[in-house]
Amino acid sequence: MTSSSAHSRKALSKIACNRLQKELVEWQVNPPAGFKHKVTDNLQRWIIEVNGAPGTIYANETYQLQVDFPEHYPMEAPQVIFIPPAPLHPHIYSNGHICLDILYDSWSPAMTVSSICISILSMLSSATVKQRPTDNDRYVKNCQNGRSPKETRWWFHDDKV
Amino acid sequence: MAEEEEVKMEVEAVQSVYGDDCVIIESYPPYLHLHIKPRTADVSSQQFVEAAIGIRASSQYPKEPPLVYLIDSKGLDEQRQTLLLSNIRDKACELPSCFMLVALCEEAVERLSAMNHPDGDCPLCLYPLVSEDDQTERLPFMKLMSCFHCFHSECIIRWWNWLQIENKNNAKNVSSATLHLRNGGDQQDRNGAVEESMGNCPVCRKVFHAKDFEHGLDLVGSHSSQLNAEKTEIKVDEIFLHSDLENMRQKFEAISKLQQENCGLIGSKSEQVVLPSINPQNTFASSEQTSAEETSGQSQNGAAANSSSSSTRPTTSKHWNSGTRRQRPQNSRKHVKQWVRKDIGGGAD
Repeated sequence: MTSSSAHSRKALSKIACNRLQKELVEWQVNPPAGFKHKVTDNLQRWIIEVNGAPGTIYANETYQLQVDFPEHYPMEAPQVIFIPPAPLHPHIYSNGHICLDILYDSWSPAMTVSSICISILSMLSSATVKQRPTDNDRYVKNCQNGRSPKETRWWFHDDKV
Repeated sequence: MAEEEEVKMEVEAVQSVYGDDCVIIESYPPYLHLHIKPRTADVSSQQFVEAAIGIRASSQYPKEPPLVYLIDSKGLDEQRQTLLLSNIRDKACELPSCFMLVALCEEAVERLSAMNHPDGDCPLCLYPLVSEDDQTERLPFMKLMSCFHCFHSECIIRWWNWLQIENKNNAKNVSSATLHLRNGGDQQDRNGAVEESMGNCPVCRKVFHAKDFEHGLDLVGSHSSQLNAEKTEIKVDEIFLHSDLENMRQKFEAISKLQQENCGLIGSKSEQVVLPSINPQNTFASSEQTSAEETSGQSQNGAAANSSSSSTRPTTSKHWNSGTRRQRPQNSRKHVKQWVRKDIGGGAD
């Protein structure tokens, strides 16, 4: 469904390739705590295993993130979604889309996969209740044609979680 | 007490050396704050670090060395902060029981000057900004004047261009897919954040303008594939390598004009001339002008003469006048090595 929307499947530019290779090497040397990159030969799509942080409501739970890189990464943000089943969280839709500003409007090319992962884990860790966003059903229905979360116009209204 | 007077005089000396960069908090026992900038950075675009240090002595000074600590710094990571301080403290230990305030301040400035380059990787491509071994060639880097964050010039300009294009596209089509309806005010905010002539620093998000990276534009040009542009730039660079050559260039421009008016005829006398060998074809083309050099009766370099042939001069020379030579030390050095002595009699080959 949401996995590979056609719009971002252009091959990586040379600049994007170089940057991703650099990130991959750095990840191998120094991976963010709680994350595991599943090795594939596809530089353009990373599958990353997330372990809920100990002491949070997601402790001992494991989820999978799918990170797709656009042609002009890092000028453009990557598309980051949870592969369903996605964690129950007030900012994570059941189709895996994540409402997190740095993935969209607040993206900066100085961010890395590693820094995104840390932000997502921090978002998970600060949640106190396991629940879906209030507009989950409406949103997921709207996305049934396989729309990317990057085409969504997000409204970031909650800075607590 | 004689010694107290001496110490106070030393503090006065520090004050007079560093002027406004020095704030005396106590003259006895000496306690002062010093704002230090690298000595090598007289063009602000070439200043990558700065620091404020505190020096506080006890009444036992100078028998006991003063306490030195860091108040604030820019462009220095923790490792370099520590190194700077330990350098100054080492200096204090080298000078037991001496009046050392001025020496310590000097040490601080010297050490900071040696650190006047960005550290670590470019935040955009993640490759090092400064080569570690001097062997591998690195891309030119620059700082944003607004916040001191450093990038490869190419990388930050790519980001700037990307923002400008994105901004245009945003203005054209307001996305139809809307999760939550925004009101008109929000919409304005979003477009206002990245106006045509603004960008955000990728590291700190501080707004920057074209003027904050202008000084890096010609650095990128020198790596562009446009060979012609590259050649003319090198020449201009050479001219400004020697400050007096700009004056000479003007002189020769006048002479060249005269020469053109006289169908190239200007009296000559034999003279040894220093010519650069970088651009043999250009030197050759300007052989007419070598006669102009002779007339002047001075030793002269071909670059200046070349520059007087206006066809190869870039139209933007006015921009370069503002201190380009300092911005590209590597290039300058490279070309200095290529100066060769030539006998004028042999012609400009």
